[in-house]
Amino acid sequence: MVKSVLSSAIKEYLLAFADDEHLMGQQHTEWIGIAPFLEEDMAFASIGQDELGHASMLYALILEGSSEVDAFIFNRKPEEWRSCQLVESNHQNWEEALMRHWCYDMAEDLRWELFRESSLPELVLISERALKEEKYHRQHADALVENLLKVSTSKSRLMKALEGIVPEVLELFSSIPGETEAISSGLVSGKYCDKLPTWRSRVENRFGVLDQKLFATSDHQARTKRHLDFAPLYGRIREVFLLDPKAVW
Amino acid sequence: MNLEILASVQDIHLAIEKVNDPEYPGISIVDLGLLENIKLNEIGEVVIQLIPTFSGCPALQMIAQDVREIIEKLPGVKKVDVVWLNSPVWSVNRVTAKAEKDLAEKFTVAVQIQGRKVKCPRCQSETTIKSHFGPSRCRSIHVCSGCNEVIETLRD
Repeated sequence: MVKSVLSSAIKEYLLAFADDEHLMGQQHTEWIGIAPFLEEDMAFASIGQDELGHASMLYALILEGSSEVDAFIFNRKPEEWRSCQLVESNHQNWEEALMRHWCYDMAEDLRWELFRESSLPELVLISERALKEEKYHRQHADALVENLLKVSTSKSRLMKALEGIVPEVLELFSSIPGETEAISSGLVSGKYCDKLPTWRSRVENRFGVLDQKLFATSDHQARTKRHLDFAPLYGRIREVFLLDPKAVW
Repeated sequence: MNLEILASVQDIHLAIEKVNDPEYPGISIVDLGLLENIKLNEIGEVVIQLIPTFSGCPALQMIAQDVREIIEKLPGVKKVDVVWLNSPVWSVNRVTAKAEKDLAEKFTVAVQIQGRKVKCPRCQSETTIKSHFGPSRCRSIHVCSGCNEVIETLRD
């Protein structure tokens, strides 16, 4: 691995993606054993595992070959995380978890696409691998949602969940620290928020035209403020690590 | 002159063939297409480059440890590094015919080779896909049209 090529701004930029992937993976895996049916139980386990894998590749890149990856991830204070509200919030109802999966994965490939011609060769390789895995995530989410939308009671529950999640997705796209330098250095090919119209058209192709008010931009913090649900989540993800911080997994 | 006997790249390759996938005892990681490259220098330092089936595979540490332990025992080997590469990306097309046969016979697991239909390992009938996600990250679920068995299928 190339040593110290990444500026602190670029590391912040990559950290935002890594933390999103990490917490999204964690949230998915929490459905193991309690998803409404077996196929979803297994799908959420596998999809969550992929997101955790993507996170670990990004963390490894940020830490430039250091072996202290776990210590770096789990010893950070809440204010040092750069995750977005969408992955921190606690969506306890199944329809909300499914809609978050759909919304997040319909946004994730658009984010990896920005790295396809990255000035950092390792990032090009990571994005190729991730994009291959993400194709299955979108297929899975969309096939299930398509079927559920045919049932009126399911449809109304999904639409209600979607309306709650869209504002969180806007924040996912809008506020990435270090983005200006990531673009000027050629790390990424453009601003993530420029992909928002693509995401919105995917949403409206599947769910129909949504109320314009849902897409009104609000004032977003640059991922420095944690969601109210972060604290208990932070406790759960550190629980096992703190039992034996030196353990190799 | 250094008269110490040093294992060859071929010896190392043969030793790695003895390392099995933790999920499929008896099936070599080499036959599953995980070995990419072996580097050996004249003072006995070995670098083994492997590729993971999936980035989030939880067995990576275990496999790396198994490889290290078996190579460290070879004559003249001073140091072993096992490195997981991000490229090339693993695909089922790296699985050898031998592993495909063993997976079918010992585990009734099919392999979804690109451009080929997934056949039932029990009765050779055609199958239909039930779910892309199965009991582990690298397996999907198919159902056999002949014997109605549920078939786990190794996939990309």
